[in-house]
Amino acid sequence: MYDLREIARGVRLVSVKASDYKTAMISVSMALPLNENAAVNALLLNLLKRSCKAYPDYTSLHKKLDELYGASVFSSVSKNGDAQVLTLYAECLDDRFSLDGKSIISETIDLLKDIIFRPNVENESFGDDKLSLEKRLLTESIIEEQNDKRAYAFKKCVEHMFNDEPFGINATGTCETVKNAEMSQIYDAWKNMLSRAVIQITVVGNIDAGIVDDSFKEDFSDIDRNPYDLKTIFKPVAVESRRIEETVAANQGKLVMGFRAGTENANDNYYAVRVMTDIFGGGTHSNLFQNIREKMSLAYYCSAGFVSTKGFIAVQSGIDTEKEGAVTQGVLEQLKDVADGKFEDSIIEASKRSLKEGFTFSSPDAICKYYTSQLLDENIETPDEVIKKIEKVTKEDICKAAEKVSLDTVFMLVADSEEVNADEN
Amino acid sequence: MKIEKFENKLLNETVYCARHPSGLEIKVMPKSGYKSAFAMFAVKYGSIDTFLQQKDGSFTPIPEGTAHFLEHKLFESEELDAFKLFEKTGAYANAYTSFEQTAYLFKGSENILQSLGYLLDFVQHPYFTAETVQKEQGIIGQEIRMYLDDPEWVIMLNLLKALYKDNPVRVDIAGTQESISHIDDKLLYSLYNSFYNPSNMILTVVGSVDPEEIFSKVETSIIREKKTVPERKFTVDSPESVKKYISSKLSVGRKQFMLGYKEHILKPLISLEDEIASQVMLEAVFGVSTDFYKQMLDDGLISLDFSAFLFNGYGFSVFMFGGGSDDPEKTVKAIKDRINQVKENGISADDFERAKRKIYGKFVMLYNEIDVSANYLVSLYFTGYEPFAEMNIIRDLTVEKAEKRLACLNEEGCALSVIEPMDK
Repeated sequence: MYDLREIARGVRLVSVKASDYKTAMISVSMALPLNENAAVNALLLNLLKRSCKAYPDYTSLHKKLDELYGASVFSSVSKNGDAQVLTLYAECLDDRFSLDGKSIISETIDLLKDIIFRPNVENESFGDDKLSLEKRLLTESIIEEQNDKRAYAFKKCVEHMFNDEPFGINATGTCETVKNAEMSQIYDAWKNMLSRAVIQITVVGNIDAGIVDDSFKEDFSDIDRNPYDLKTIFKPVAVESRRIEETVAANQGKLVMGFRAGTENANDNYYAVRVMTDIFGGGTHSNLFQNIREKMSLAYYCSAGFVSTKGFIAVQSGIDTEKEGAVTQGVLEQLKDVADGKFEDSIIEASKRSLKEGFTFSSPDAICKYYTSQLLDENIETPDEVIKKIEKVTKEDICKAAEKVSLDTVFMLVADSEEVNADEN
Repeated sequence: MKIEKFENKLLNETVYCARHPSGLEIKVMPKSGYKSAFAMFAVKYGSIDTFLQQKDGSFTPIPEGTAHFLEHKLFESEELDAFKLFEKTGAYANAYTSFEQTAYLFKGSENILQSLGYLLDFVQHPYFTAETVQKEQGIIGQEIRMYLDDPEWVIMLNLLKALYKDNPVRVDIAGTQESISHIDDKLLYSLYNSFYNPSNMILTVVGSVDPEEIFSKVETSIIREKKTVPERKFTVDSPESVKKYISSKLSVGRKQFMLGYKEHILKPLISLEDEIASQVMLEAVFGVSTDFYKQMLDDGLISLDFSAFLFNGYGFSVFMFGGGSDDPEKTVKAIKDRINQVKENGISADDFERAKRKIYGKFVMLYNEIDVSANYLVSLYFTGYEPFAEMNIIRDLTVEKAEKRLACLNEEGCALSVIEPMDK
């Protein structure tokens, strides 16, 4: 169970008391509209996590973290529908492992609050040298996205499929927008984030909600809150399907098939689509694993994932480029089989059991990430509630959900293996 | 079976250990308040096993990639594939092959004893035919190709190839398209019978379980008999057998580097104390909170993906430094300067204490996750250590020990691996 409180307008605190673990974890997740400011916001988040007034540079901040027995502060920039989500996490040992009697958890939470509310800013500037370092690091990480071909192909499919929707924007911006970001924009983005982001603070560990509540309330008390009303565009049906390709020097081609899920908002038919996607291409019991991999021996991986916050289903597979036709056809046949109800009841049970395991968490890290992901959901659901709803899904629900799925964009990262092997010599 | 208890008061954890008459080692760590359990059935047979010891003690070569191939095939059976069995309990089942071991595992919250039965059963019942082995070559072939496009894997394997001339750690875990073409059902059966012997294996279960129930389930589920286990071949590479530089071109965004220092070892394994002293040393000298790290970052010589770690196992031990860099030669020079400077001046007491505290924290955190703790228990067992051995070592570690590890970084055993972007 969790404890839910409102700290300020559009700022809620979700705390889960967990005393059997060795660590505590806290996240502060902040949602903003996903637009041309993506790079500025991403740079801001990186600048924030590197220092604060009390620990004004990277080295002093990390020395403090080492003293807290290897506590860590890390961040992520992600998308939740057409919103950009900036999240700061802190993880630390539980107080009972302290060697000097000091509370590790309170000190870690204080540090995280310092990072967010009391950054090392002077005259509205984070420091030109610091910004140029962050620009270099972020640019490098954008350039290096192509190193992981599977993730790169997925990203390209999303970019093409949603080219006229905010969701098509890269979560951390582009090299160009990173380069153009100015200090004044970063400072404004910080102020904007504190006053306008939709915020959820999630705490999992051996700590009382009341203490966290009081402590964050104080920081928000002098901020004028006017949170965004964040909306996401849903296109339930693909107007037409298209195929886009790009060639790279590689040994294996990467296929990504982007489908519209037939849903009209993040909660629409969620449980049925979730079970359907799992039967179609989830675990080893799924149609795609059993057929594309096991029967046809065409791929090491071929799986489907559902992005409910955007009504999007993606099938991903690593294949020989010349087998694209066979794999694409196979995938569509498997989807049709699900819609036609050509699967055993035992598969539904297998799928539900496997999804249920996926909602059984065994660490503060996993519990914290589960609740953090509900940032934009009006009502918070416990894993048990989710499991109960999954169990109610019927075969008819599954077939109907599959019928509504339509193919939008196929992205093929064609592997030019001659080129890569020529370069080896 | 006689059950032995290992307790650690600080962690508030207990591990129950027993040896089955077949020679199988069993370790159970119950964890109160947890909803799931993780079980791992591991065999000391990995990609470094490229030789098989014969009855007369001599060694004959076997193709590269057999351990990994067997891992894929054991999931199949004459009636129902292992994956199908686990669908009945909902447990998540998987397996992996590393340089030194093959492990079969599941994670589940309900019907754990039933899942445990499936795990013990399918690993003890190999079933494959000429056709099923041939079909698997297609799937594994795709897996090999996938890794050939992974710069992090290629850069490390290239480094190992440069550092080691004969040691099998230089071999790709899955083998090559060519080597797996020599693998057939007969070979797999014979290797299975040699390596998959209970006395060469361990079962570890961590999480929401009752040790008594686990032990009695295992007691009746082990059908294989105790046999002599083949010894591993220990290949000593001479310190000089190092190729100083190796590079490949891949379609990467920018240059990647990995610098390696091979430790010249005369015994197959370094001690756990040396391993932990190395971790603390690397943290104290190259960690994120050092002035060195900050300077390198400010000078544009490293990025946040910079890492320094010890990679060691049976017959190999390498200190590795890697990440992205536009000018690997310059970055490497700065790392070498740092090594020489600290060798001369010693590690400062502050840096050492801070690093030690951080590594202590990491060891405690390790027992948070059921899968991580299970893996660690297996690794301690295969290297000859009792549960929680690391906790006393980290407590008693001295700066002299850490400095002694730094002294192992010698120019003659050093190589640089670089991945360059393709020409556009």
